[in-house]
Amino acid sequence: MAEKLLPDHDSNHDLEKGHNTYYTRLTRRLVLLTVVCSLVPLLVAGWGINIYYARFAKSRMISSFRTELEHHRNIIELFIKERSSKLQLIAETHSKDFLTVPSNLNDIFKLINREYRSITDLGVIDSTGRHLAYVGPYDLLDKNYSETFWFKAVMNKGIYISDMFMGFRKEPHFVIAVTATHNNEKWILRATIDTEVFRSLVENVKIGETGEVFIVNQQGIYQTSPRYSGKILDSSPFPVDEFYDGIQTCIQESYTDSNSQKKIPRQIMSQAWLSEPCWKLVVKQNYAEAFSDVNLANYAVLIFLHLSAIIILVVVILITRHMICIIKKRDGEAENLNKQLVQTGKLAAIGQLSAGVAHEINNPLAIISTERQIMIDLEMQKPISDPDFKEQFCDSMAQIDIQIHRCKRITYNLLRFARRTQSVIESFDLNDFIQEVIELMEREAGSGGIKFFSHLEENLPALQSDPSQLQQVLLNIIINAIDACENTSFGTITIRTRSTKKKPGIIISIADTGSGISPDRMEKIFDPFFTTKPVGKGTGLGLSICFSTIKRLGGNITVKSTVGEGAEFEIFLPYSPPQKLLDDMKKPDRD
Amino acid sequence: MIGSKILIVDDEEIFAGNMAKLLITRKYNVTTVHNGEDALLELEKTNFDVVVLDLKMPGMDGLATLKEIKKLGVLTQILMLTGHGSIDSALEAVKLGAYDYLTKPCDIFELVRKIEGAWKIKDKEEKIETQEKIQKIIESPKSVFSMFPK
Repeated sequence: MAEKLLPDHDSNHDLEKGHNTYYTRLTRRLVLLTVVCSLVPLLVAGWGINIYYARFAKSRMISSFRTELEHHRNIIELFIKERSSKLQLIAETHSKDFLTVPSNLNDIFKLINREYRSITDLGVIDSTGRHLAYVGPYDLLDKNYSETFWFKAVMNKGIYISDMFMGFRKEPHFVIAVTATHNNEKWILRATIDTEVFRSLVENVKIGETGEVFIVNQQGIYQTSPRYSGKILDSSPFPVDEFYDGIQTCIQESYTDSNSQKKIPRQIMSQAWLSEPCWKLVVKQNYAEAFSDVNLANYAVLIFLHLSAIIILVVVILITRHMICIIKKRDGEAENLNKQLVQTGKLAAIGQLSAGVAHEINNPLAIISTERQIMIDLEMQKPISDPDFKEQFCDSMAQIDIQIHRCKRITYNLLRFARRTQSVIESFDLNDFIQEVIELMEREAGSGGIKFFSHLEENLPALQSDPSQLQQVLLNIIINAIDACENTSFGTITIRTRSTKKKPGIIISIADTGSGISPDRMEKIFDPFFTTKPVGKGTGLGLSICFSTIKRLGGNITVKSTVGEGAEFEIFLPYSPPQKLLDDMKKPDRD
Repeated sequence: MIGSKILIVDDEEIFAGNMAKLLITRKYNVTTVHNGEDALLELEKTNFDVVVLDLKMPGMDGLATLKEIKKLGVLTQILMLTGHGSIDSALEAVKLGAYDYLTKPCDIFELVRKIEGAWKIKDKEEKIETQEKIQKIIESPKSVFSMFPK
């Protein structure tokens, strides 16, 4: 335990740093691996499913939008077809003469509007364009339509459905006109469709908050008033395109309306041409509103997904840290165990070597000793006359004897270290035993001013162990403690005992206030032949013997120390010796 | 006892020779051999008082030689000498009937003291044996013939 060199903390610090780097890397690797194995598949699958679902939902929405459009187109087409068919039927089944009679035309008019008022007025026009008969709110009798566009068109085609126009009544309306022939003369039955009724068919359709349904003609003129983007007979901002069959659906990117200077957001728009008249039905809605449910579901899924990912990440980091802590602890325990195994192995190997060496040295020593005795015998038989020579001879013989005994002590210690002396297990009171040891040592320590203190737990259970070997261990440690306190004033040695429940047994602690042990020497302290004492004072076997003895008794010995403050040895001893020792005791020892 | 017959058995020839010189100086009658087999042969020929027997020897070791000597039924006392420092082996030898043990290197005075002790035991045992024989002859005079080889 004597320590005179300055402590060398660098190597231990580097080792500690290396261990920490290793565990930090291990933590990172484990976290990365777990994240790659759990989060990446989760996110990829989550995003994939989300994208797929969004596309699927949007295609369903678009399909529903198209269905809506088709449905409205059918209603509008049916409305116009029904009206034109009625007119054709009347023209086919009634003569011009009959219809030009005001009461007859009035009856027909009422008949048409009986169930559903959809025609504003009804008139009969001859081939010259003169209004022969008229039923309706306006005074249009005798008006001449020969120059109007619809008159010419109906005369050519036989049936004509006009676009919306202002005409004589100065309000938007459209007409359906059909021709019939009477006495080889063409005449026209013309009806004005109730604009309110027709427009309500289209304009009253509500699609969400931003949806609108409207009709434009081939020139891009609104035939009904859109809900937001204009009014009837205004020009629509949409480009006029050619007639086509079927339904077109497109996403219209946001733009600024040139008329209102309002920014129109991105919209979904479906459009289809009616078969007759050549009008285009348009249904559109703000993209954000149309897909709000899909987008909401999308965002909810993504938020949930990322929240789960964050939770997993946090849990992974916490679990990994916890696991690393456990690994670190286990590694520490394994390292200690390995150190002890190495120490035990070293002791076993050196023990075998020591036995051989001691035996081989003892024989030459014995020869030297006998040779010395022969010389002394010879000198006694024939005394040396020269007094100086005699004095030198006697000194040399005495010195040879001293050195022989020194060597013998070394070989004795070596053999004691190597051999397993027969243990004698007894039941004894450890506290009484320690008091005896203290009394024994107090005389030696007292001369150096070293004081002993004992804190012994009362009522300790009796210990079954080898008191003789244990005494040797305690003496070795206390002698070392006394040596360590040599250069310190008011040195103390404190011995404590306490029982442990974790591993049933007793812990003996021997603490001194000596010079302490530097960390680099701590590892070697139980190595055989390791000593810091001056040459000739210590063999370096004391603590090795302590280590192997305590191990054999089924216990454990550890040391902790701070340079300059002292050292503390802790010996754990089980209440009963291990079965192996008891078995060994039964075998005869034949070294 | 001056003139006691001592047999030194040790494979270390120099050591055995030195011990012989020291004991001869002290008026002992010393014979040296260097293995167990030769020791047994010497013991068959001569009635030694004390055998100083080394424990570790090549071939027949000290313990085996001790056992064989005991089989001979002689009263010779055996002093074990070990360079092994093994108290246990020496103690086992004592259990097997050795008088005592010494560890190498040993002091000549210690050796002489132990030889004297051993001689006293042997002397005592011889006296007891002689008394037993006399008692036997007194009790049964014919038994005197059985004491001599036919």
